[in-house]
Amino acid sequence: MHLIDVYIQEVTRRLPEKNRQDIALELRSTIEDMLPENYTEVEVKEALGKMGSPVSLASGYLDRPMHLIGPRYFDVYVTLLKMIVPIAATIAFIILIAENMFSYNGEEALINIILTIVGKGIWEILSISIHTFFWITLVFAIIERTDTSKEKLPLTTSLKEWTPDDLNNIPYILKGKEISKSSIFGSLLGIAIFTAIYFNAVQLIGVYEKIQGKLQFVTPTFNQEVLHAYWLIVLIAIGVEVALVCYKFVIGQWTRKVAIMNTLRHVVSSTVFILIFSNTNLINPDFISYLERLFNTSIEIKSSIILGVIFLWIVSVVIDVIQGFRKANISK
Amino acid sequence: MSKLLSSLTIELRRGTLTLAVLSQLRTPQYGYSLVQLLEKSNVAIDQSTLYPLLRRLEKQELVVSSWDTSESRPRKYYVLSEYGIEIFEKLKEEWEQTTRELYTLLKGEEENASN
Repeated sequence: MHLIDVYIQEVTRRLPEKNRQDIALELRSTIEDMLPENYTEVEVKEALGKMGSPVSLASGYLDRPMHLIGPRYFDVYVTLLKMIVPIAATIAFIILIAENMFSYNGEEALINIILTIVGKGIWEILSISIHTFFWITLVFAIIERTDTSKEKLPLTTSLKEWTPDDLNNIPYILKGKEISKSSIFGSLLGIAIFTAIYFNAVQLIGVYEKIQGKLQFVTPTFNQEVLHAYWLIVLIAIGVEVALVCYKFVIGQWTRKVAIMNTLRHVVSSTVFILIFSNTNLINPDFISYLERLFNTSIEIKSSIILGVIFLWIVSVVIDVIQGFRKANISK
Repeated sequence: MSKLLSSLTIELRRGTLTLAVLSQLRTPQYGYSLVQLLEKSNVAIDQSTLYPLLRRLEKQELVVSSWDTSESRPRKYYVLSEYGIEIFEKLKEEWEQTTRELYTLLKGEEENASN
């Protein structure tokens, strides 16, 4: 008797309140039907063994699914996760870099800042990933449980069932033409770091010396005023870069249009770069005299050095532009 | 091998369970009497599937249930509703057609193998 009570309790406690009594009554009469008049505990166990695990019996009675996210939503769920988690993590990391750079007071060594950013960054990326993962999963688990339609077919990302027309919206990406997500996130990160450094160059880039056992910033490389005089065009160039990254993200592969846009953004950023670098007042005079003292020779910022740097820059730009067009022209 | 075979067999039989249960419910039956009826015809049935199935059929209005409290032990009886009879007949036709088709298919395969 006792075992039967416990068995029924084990089943019904998993069921909604309103069904419990009726199902309990039916189960009891069924189990007793299986038993002889004066039954022993062994016989009870045998009968309950035939009834099977209370969990699976209860799940049979429930309409609720026994999984978190079923086949109907699983593909949409995974696709969204793959899209949103890296974006959230990258944005969090960029914000972290920006925060650290802009609140920088010039007292700490650059290496310490980098270490802090890496340490905090790993933590931040982990926690943001877990957060987004949790919320997306929660939303889908709720949708799974509130979806009253009995349809079983998987949904596409537009939350409709698949039709052949959907294929029209998907680009056919040839091997070698795809723009990887990691390159997109890498570019964004690069832009963020560049922006942060540009506005803090005077406190970050320069000569560090060990004074009284501590690494200290002695002389900045660049001339603050000259560097910052260009802030407007630098911002424009950054804007163009970000726009191109977003455009590449949307298109997802190298096309002629992407290659042309890529060329355009190189023209803009190169113009800005050359403008800034060809200014002979860019390098801080203190920095030059420091080098002179260090190497015991007189150094002059010759136009040939500047030309050399600009030449290298242009070579790398041309290579990237050509690569873009080469990938865009892959057709088999 | 045998594990795979048994899981395939279960899968094969799963769909026929509803039909088997409906076929025995022209006269009112309670849970255990239904089990015995099915077992008599050698239809093996997992009891933890049967009782929830009966409830689902009731929810789908294919069967109606009533409690009989006149005997020493209260029992819940299930019987086909009119709608249930209609669906059962159609399902039966469906099954017969499927078995015919499959029979022809398997027969053809046998001949191919012997040639």
